[in-house]
Parts: sequence; structure tokens; C-alpha cells
Amino acid sequence: MFSFALKNILFYKGRSITTFILTFISAILFIVYVSMMDGSHDSMLKNSLKIYSGAIEIYHKDYRDIGGNEYLIRDVESIEKKLSLVDGVELFSSRYETYGLLSFGDNSMASMVVGIEPKKEEQLTQLKVALVDGEYLKYGSQNCLYIGSGVAKRLKVKIGDEISFIGGASDNSFVADIFMVYGVFKTGLSEFDDSATFVSRDYFDKLMLSKNIASYITVKVKDLDRVDEINSEIIKLLNDENLESLTWKTLMKSMVETMEVDSIFGYISLSLFLVVIFFVIMIYGFINVSSRIKEFGVLRCVGLSKKHIFLLLFYEIFILSTFALILATPIAGYICYYYSINPIVIEGMAEMYKDYGIVSDEIPFSFDIFTISWNISLIYGLNILSIIYPYFYINSFKSIEASRHV
Amino acid sequence: MVGDKVTLEIHREETLEEEDSVSKFLLIFFIFTISLVANEAQDIIKKLDENMRGENVSMKMTMRVVSLSHERTMKMQSWSEGTKKSFTKILYPPKDRGITFLSLENQMWQYVPKIERIIKIPPSMMLQNWMGSDITNDDIVKQSSIVEDYEPKIIKKKNTLVTIELIPKEDAAVVWGKIIINIDTTTYTSNRDVFYDEDGEEVRQFIYEKVKKFGKYYIPTYWRVQSSSKKDNFTEIILEDVEYDTEISQHYFKKSALKRFSR
Repeated sequence: MFSFALKNILFYKGRSITTFILTFISAILFIVYVSMMDGSHDSMLKNSLKIYSGAIEIYHKDYRDIGGNEYLIRDVESIEKKLSLVDGVELFSSRYETYGLLSFGDNSMASMVVGIEPKKEEQLTQLKVALVDGEYLKYGSQNCLYIGSGVAKRLKVKIGDEISFIGGASDNSFVADIFMVYGVFKTGLSEFDDSATFVSRDYFDKLMLSKNIASYITVKVKDLDRVDEINSEIIKLLNDENLESLTWKTLMKSMVETMEVDSIFGYISLSLFLVVIFFVIMIYGFINVSSRIKEFGVLRCVGLSKKHIFLLLFYEIFILSTFALILATPIAGYICYYYSINPIVIEGMAEMYKDYGIVSDEIPFSFDIFTISWNISLIYGLNILSIIYPYFYINSFKSIEASRHV
Repeated sequence: MVGDKVTLEIHREETLEEEDSVSKFLLIFFIFTISLVANEAQDIIKKLDENMRGENVSMKMTMRVVSLSHERTMKMQSWSEGTKKSFTKILYPPKDRGITFLSLENQMWQYVPKIERIIKIPPSMMLQNWMGSDITNDDIVKQSSIVEDYEPKIIKKKNTLVTIELIPKEDAAVVWGKIIINIDTTTYTSNRDVFYDEDGEEVRQFIYEKVKKFGKYYIPTYWRVQSSSKKDNFTEIILEDVEYDTEISQHYFKKSALKRFSR
């Protein structure tokens, strides 16, 4: 039956070439499109995680929902000791976040002032890379303030200017201090650049009475794909119902939802394309089968069963699909692989993007064997489905009737 | 027959005219009643506000802030004139002594001796807690006026106790979505204010006790501010040396006063 199917393929060249080309093109487009979509989502996520958010963050319960000094983590050192025991954790750092009033001359604004460990943040985030003026913080940089470009613009300050700060310490008492503008950063996230400022924790802790106290601890993991597994391990190790350890999926819920919606729309538009391809292949198959009614009639008369007819049609589409996919997969795979290590840069956008900060102008592709495999399987499945209708059509004729069909 | 028809028509017209007059009367009565009720609510709120402010008022306050399982005590003195001018100075603890606040024409400034700076408090900070307590910057400067910025409506009356709901006027720059005040109309003082945010969620309560008479004014001398979300936290304020309608130097209501009276 297999060699019979092969002969048919060679005999009905028009139908074979059309099916081959359509399968080939749709496979390449499908694999490349999914790779580009997954790659750009990964890139969005990595960019966001690089800027400030951690892959995992540990909070006191209710800090995120209610907030306030009642919900600060008050034994940072013991948590950090436990974190250092978790295998998948690459690095972690505690942050003390507070909202206060910054003032320079007649300009005042509410701002998020964060006490950070400068050296660790350098490896955890892109804060240092985002520097556009002055210098990045270092340990012992005293009352130096590293401010967002939006804050600098609103307060009309430049490097060396002294900004007054008033706010509440970790015990709710009143605090006031003078900070010196040491560096200005621009990440490209406008909301962040317009409100965030940073001080070295060693100085800030004395001012805010926040030694061994943190708003939260941010954690970088060795492998982002294992984030859920590592998080479970952290929760188990912390063993404290007052603490919650959250992954980026919860922390950046809105971004995850945006990516999911984007993926759904991507798959919907792609499925429309695949449906068109499916129908074209099916129609060609149907036309081909229609012109072969007499042939199938004769075959049935000489003893071939319905099962054999199905097998014949199946082998025909299987051989054509296999040839097309054998050729398409390496080509599509190579394209995905090439652009995963050499991301597409949108010409002319680079300069504009730089002006917005460090948000990448690259669109990397994702090269994932599993994704490519299910893409191929789907094309296979659709091609095989395309023989169902022609099969039923040909079986609607009686053998004798079909053998006399003109 | 024709005569009967004409009589019927005249009678119908008269009936219609009578019905029209009754509806007009009912409408006028309804509007009159509504305006009376509205005026009554407005009058009560005005009298309450007069009791709190007088022509001018100066007082000393002791504030006890309980939060994070410990307490802090602060003492301060304030001078205010009408709704547009107020000056507050921290007297205790020594760490915060000399911090001054000035409110003038809906603007607020703070002077901090430790950093020797005058800082302008932006309107966006008005809802922020004041000095770590449960009261806000807005409470200190009384920037928003319950008389001018809110529309009062009586929602309950029981003997001398009247419950009034205050809804912000459309163009008012206020921080609360709604305030419900329980007023004792024998003294025109409140015994409980409940503050709601813009989403209608209860944010905090002011509980007032120990009403005293100073000259012609009544004022509760014990206030307790209770946050709705943090039940363990509260702030108590005790008013002392309250003086109404005295001669308050206009020097207190100048920007230079922030530094001058800080010492």
C-alpha cells in the first residue's frame, strides 16, 4: 500500500507539489512565528526583571496589601542565612522602602526612597547600567542619593545639589535629613524613573532605625524556568506563616496577563492562517480524490477494503507531509536558533530606544526543541485531518457505481 | 342638552385648575421642606465648625500615639484664625522640638530645625500621616472646610443627637469621599466622626469626649483617632489651655514665623 501511495504521489504531480509547498511554507511560518512570539515575551520579562523586580521576593504578609511599618520583615539576617542554603538561589538582597517627601527650593514631591546594598543590586538589577549622570552608589556613600531622571526633572536638581527629605522611620517616628544628588538613572520605565530614589543601606538604616529590618528581600535565581520549584523550597525552608515568598508571576501579574493576552491573539491570528492552509490542502485532496473515483471503484472491486483506501490516502498525505517537514524543520529551526543568538534589531529604533533608557531594542527568538516538536506535530495532525472528508466522500459511492464513474 | 355640556366642560376645567393648584402647592411644600432640612443640616455643621474654630483659637495639645506595640507622646501648641490661617509648633519630645507648620491659603509649609530647611508640603501629601500619628496633614492645617467643601444631609435624628452625612462638593479639593458626623445639638459638638475614602471604605474614626465650655464655645477636650485597618493603632489627643477669640499676633501667619517661632 505504501509503494502504491508513493506511485500515486509521483503520478498526481500537481496535487503533490501543492500539498508539499503548502505544508512546507506553513511549517516554516508557524515555527518561526511561535519562536518570535515566545522570544519577545521572554525578552520583555527578562528586561523587567533586570530593571528592579526580582524573580522571587519575600514579604511579611499584608505588606503588599495594607502596607506600613507593622508589616516590615524584622529579622532579615536569619532569613538570609536560610536563603544561602537554597541551591537554585544565585543572589539575594534586602531593601528598605519608604515613601517620603523630597524637597529642593520651592519644589517638593512624594517619592519612594529605597535603602539598598549597592554592590549586590549591581548584580541583581540594571540600576548601575541605567546611570546617565554622576555616579552609582557604593558602600559607605553616606547621604548620597541616586535618583530617577523624572525625579531630577521635577525637583530641578543636578549632581551635587542638596535635597531635603522628611518621612517616617521604621518605628513611625519623624525623620528628616539632607541628601546629596550623587547620580541620575534612567531605566525606560517612566513610572519608576519618576518616583524612585536610592540610598546606601548602611547610611539609611541609621536614619530610619532599620538595621536588620527590610520591606522585602529580592532573590535572583540561577534558572528562571525553575522559579516555582525554588520558591517552594524557600517557603519550606522559611517555615513562617507570617512571611510570603512570591514569584515574578504574582509580582508582575499585570505583565503576565498582558503576555498571555498577546499570546492568545497571536495564536488566534496564526490559527486563522493554519485553517486556510488546512482547507486548501483538503480542497486539493478532495479535487484529487474526485478525479480518482473510478480508480477507487476499481480498487474496491478487486478486493481493497475501506480500511485499505484510508491507509492509501493516509500514506499519501503522510509521505508528502514528512518530506515537507523534513525539509522545513531544519530551515525553521536554524532561523530560530540564529535569531535566538543574534536577535533582530529594529533599524532606526536603537537611537530612540536609548533615549528612553535601557529597554532593549532587540527582538530575540526562542529556540526550544519542545516547542518546535509540538509545532510539527500540529501541522502533521492538520494534514492528516484533511483526508477525513475526501475519505468519506469516496466511500459514499458504491464500488460498482464508482468503477463506472466518468 | 347643549347647556348641560357647557356646564360639564366648565366643571371639568375648574377641577383641572384645582388639581393644578394642589400639585403646585405640594411641589412648593416639598421644595420648602427639602430646603428647610438642608438649611438645618447646614446650620448644625456651621455651629459645629464655629465651636471648633471660633474667630480664632489657640491651644496646647498632648498627643499619644500607640503603634507597633509601643507608644510615643508629643506636645504641641497651635494658633489658628478662620479657615485659612494656622500655625503649629512641636514642643515635645526634644528630638522634634521646634518643628513648625504653617498653613496659609490652602498651602502648607514645614520647618525642620535639624536640617534648617523650610519644606513646602504638596497637596498630594495632605492625606499622609502627620508625625507618625493617625491624623493627617490635612487635620493639622484644616485645609478643607466641612462648611465650604461638603454638602451636608441629615440622615438620622434621635432626641438631641443628629447624624449628618457630608459629601464633597463637585469642585472641592478634599481628601475624603464621605464623612459621617454624630452631633449633639445641645452643645453643637461631635461625639464621633467616621471618615470614608473615595471607594466608600471606612478609613478611620474620631471619637470625641469630655466636652468643655470655653467662653461661648463648646469643644471636646479628648479626641481618639482610630484607624479602621489597623485596630491596634490609635492616637489620643488631649486639648489644654484652649483660648478663643483672643489677640493672636499676625506674625504667626507669615512664612518667616516658621523659623522665628521655632526656637
